[in-house]
Amino acid sequence: MFDLEKAISQWLRSFRKYRAFDHGSVREMELHLRDHIDDLIADGISEKEAFETAVKEFGDIKQMAFDEFQTQKRKPTITSLIQTAMFKNYSLITLRSMMKNPVSSLINLFGLSIAIGLSVFAYAFAQWVYSTDQFHEFKDEVHLITYSANSDGNLQVYGQTPRPLGEMLKQDFPQIQKVCRLEDRNVVVKYEDNVYHERVRFTDHEFLEMFTFPLKWGNAGSLADINSIILSEEISVKYFGDQNPVGLDILLKFDETRSKVFKITGVAEKFPVAKTIAFGFLINFQNLSAVDQDYNFHDWTKLVNATFIQIKDPQHLHEISEGMEKYKLIQNEATGHRMAISSFGLEPFATLHKNSDDIKNHITRSSSSNYSSIVYLVCVAGFILLLSCINYINIAIVSAAKRLKELGIRKTIGASKANIIIQFLTENIVITLFALVLGLALGMTLFIPWFEGMWGFSMGFSLARGKVWAFLAAIVIITGLISGSYPAFYISKFQVTSILKGSLKFGRKNTLTKAFLGVQLVVATIFITLSVAFTLNTNYLKKRSWGYENREVIYVAVQDQAAFEKMQAAMAQDPNVISVSGSSHHVGRKHKTTIIEFPDRQFEVNELAVGDNYVQTLGLTIKSGRGFNSDSESDKRAVLVNETFVKNMTLQQPIGQVFRIDSTQFEIIGVVRDFHSYNFAEKVNPTILRVAGKEDYAFLSMRITKGTEHDVYKNAQSQWVQLYPEIPFNGGYQEDAWGAYYETIDNYAEVWTLFASIAIILAILGLYGLVKLNVEGRIREFSIKKVLGAGLPGIVDGICRQYVLLLAIAITIGAPTSYFLVKMIFGMAYAYHMPLTFEVILLGIVVLIVAIIFTIGTQIRKVMISNPVEGLRVE
Amino acid sequence: MISKNLTAATTRPIILSILKQGSSYGYLIIKKIKEMSGGRMEFSDGMLYPVLHRLEKDGLIQSNWTVSDDTRPRKYYEITEAGKQALIEEKEQWQQVHAVLEKLWNVKPSTS
Repeated sequence: MFDLEKAISQWLRSFRKYRAFDHGSVREMELHLRDHIDDLIADGISEKEAFETAVKEFGDIKQMAFDEFQTQKRKPTITSLIQTAMFKNYSLITLRSMMKNPVSSLINLFGLSIAIGLSVFAYAFAQWVYSTDQFHEFKDEVHLITYSANSDGNLQVYGQTPRPLGEMLKQDFPQIQKVCRLEDRNVVVKYEDNVYHERVRFTDHEFLEMFTFPLKWGNAGSLADINSIILSEEISVKYFGDQNPVGLDILLKFDETRSKVFKITGVAEKFPVAKTIAFGFLINFQNLSAVDQDYNFHDWTKLVNATFIQIKDPQHLHEISEGMEKYKLIQNEATGHRMAISSFGLEPFATLHKNSDDIKNHITRSSSSNYSSIVYLVCVAGFILLLSCINYINIAIVSAAKRLKELGIRKTIGASKANIIIQFLTENIVITLFALVLGLALGMTLFIPWFEGMWGFSMGFSLARGKVWAFLAAIVIITGLISGSYPAFYISKFQVTSILKGSLKFGRKNTLTKAFLGVQLVVATIFITLSVAFTLNTNYLKKRSWGYENREVIYVAVQDQAAFEKMQAAMAQDPNVISVSGSSHHVGRKHKTTIIEFPDRQFEVNELAVGDNYVQTLGLTIKSGRGFNSDSESDKRAVLVNETFVKNMTLQQPIGQVFRIDSTQFEIIGVVRDFHSYNFAEKVNPTILRVAGKEDYAFLSMRITKGTEHDVYKNAQSQWVQLYPEIPFNGGYQEDAWGAYYETIDNYAEVWTLFASIAIILAILGLYGLVKLNVEGRIREFSIKKVLGAGLPGIVDGICRQYVLLLAIAITIGAPTSYFLVKMIFGMAYAYHMPLTFEVILLGIVVLIVAIIFTIGTQIRKVMISNPVEGLRVE
Repeated sequence: MISKNLTAATTRPIILSILKQGSSYGYLIIKKIKEMSGGRMEFSDGMLYPVLHRLEKDGLIQSNWTVSDDTRPRKYYEITEAGKQALIEEKEQWQQVHAVLEKLWNVKPSTS
């Protein structure tokens, strides 16, 4: 017998195969079928036939399902609305669980935001470095002319150029649009009562066309006029305040006898911060003949500081550098093949700041150390980010134990694995977003201003640039995925039944958690060791001797012999002055690069032409041989050399050796212990000291009684003002000769200490979170132990056992790694550093262990003072 | 017999036109179509529902379940203002097609 109801429900079941139909649609079609069957039966057909006809006329369900599905897909707004609602829900859950576990949340938030803050800082720094010189419109067309020559057996590139080369290039190569030469001189600038020592740049008027330095006031073309001068904004403010000085006259004193009045015809706008080339005063190149009547623009044996050319079409570069071969012959003939030039080169200005470290005597500032700093910063920010991600993963896994019921219920009421993953990833992204806001705030209000304040410049970081946001988005996504995906997948795998039965035990014995903690400890060891090493080394460098009595010497720059003699007479009255000496160069202030010739080879050395008692005045130590005789006439052909000189020239018996400078023969009479002319970042160069003629004296040095530095300095200043009211006093404590060097190394130590502090705080926080959760999870175990009479040792053993091995492994890996890292970084960063001993590493490890003991100690204390009854009452 | 493809193309204007005369439910709509076409449209009943649902999602019609004591519950469809607008457009298009075909078929064979 045909059962209509059964047939209909069977027919309906076939709809359920297709997910396209919701309950309403199925019901709708059921009613359709029933109506149809009713009508057919009314026409007098049997139930069975009516059903079959109705079904047949209803048609293919599969095709229908397909159409229906297309309809749903076309308008996905409903589903996406549901999804947003879910995300909102998940975010709320996140906030609630954050509130419920403030410690873990704070650890996560703190770590991630510090890491993001550091990344923002690293980004700002990199952006600043990469923008160096990029504001010049013709940066890709302008090239610096360089030459290579053989120096001490190596091919060395120099940034200077033979004097006539610029003009020759302009004549010989129509492909070159513009040429400008640069030369700098120290002068005294006077405007009304303002008198200062300044550095003036001599250049061709094309300079302001080739380099993009827009003028605030005045006219750039005026540089073609030999009587015009253009100022930087800084100089303009220094002399004239906010007033527009264009049209005013200013006096430049080149030396005692030569001076010239210039008309101010322009003031440049403030220079961008990231630049390698700038100026204070610009005057026409031809003025060099006003400085020095003998200045010969066509002398191939002399050099100018720099020559830049502008070439529109890069295709011509090759022709030009090939065409420059002919100058080589002229040059080498003129110099008699001394330091023979082997080739000329062109260095693009756009990348000059990166490469200029390899070019000797160039005028631009190099930023290659900044490029290595970027590498360090990126490594540090990356490691800190890794540390904070590891913290997040560990805490997420362990604290999931507290949320097992939530998960179990979610899964029971039908959450799929994907739902759980999405929930956890959402939580993670919410936290990361929080961290982003905090991190951005940290970066912009703490790290960047701190760094800028320390080095005294502005990186010009702004959120207004689109790339910053792309970077931040990338950081959030990467951080979110790294820190979120493992916990999400791990947790979503749990079986509902075992969760609800309570038989699931995890987190406590998770090997991955341990491995992560191990990585953190290794990284922390490395950071701490680095920081300790940098701090110790800074102290070491502060104590390191300069090789002479830098603390008891005061120097004064003098313009000529007369000034020297007058000052010498005046200062000799001062009872605190032990000895006075003149010199034409001065340690830490000025030296000359000289080529010395042995019969078979040539060397480039630093030369100091000094007075006969200069060695005693500065407290240089004679190691062997003798110093200069006070009757300097007899020692005119004698030189003292330093230890590096002896070592580099491989002289077995230095005393009595002879060499030539400009065909004059000199004899070595003594060896001076190595001394640092410039700061410890620079290697001591082979140096010679020879006797200077009194007419060449440019410095007066005084050895003074200890503790009277300030009085003598004041006295020298007032003596000078009486003698030369027109010329500004230019002198100083020898101690200050290195400028901000000590501040700089202090800064390095400070930066590394900050990084190390962050690393150790993160590692400790992570450890704290893990130990805390571990102890909380085992509170019953500890309570039972206490009830059964376990004392401190038992509890300590229970808590610490698992971490001791981990710490041991971390130190075994971390200690040697940090030793090699410190060695490598010291090798790169310092020319001189303290001897690296294992104590440095040991000190780092001790700091780490103390911090860890303290962290675990807090938890042990908590267990010790807890009442075991309370612990056992826990559900 | 009208082909399947042509039928498919016409369901939209036909449904809208039927609903314009008054709200109706699925079975009744199909019955009406079958009556009016004299069974010459190749039409499986089931194909109607995806079209109805599509029209509803596009906002051209709206639906509500009506429950009364004496009959089965019915899902009644009703044309919306947007639906009426769409029908006017459909109508214009069909009339244009119709006009083109009309012209083509009424032209006498060329006598040249």
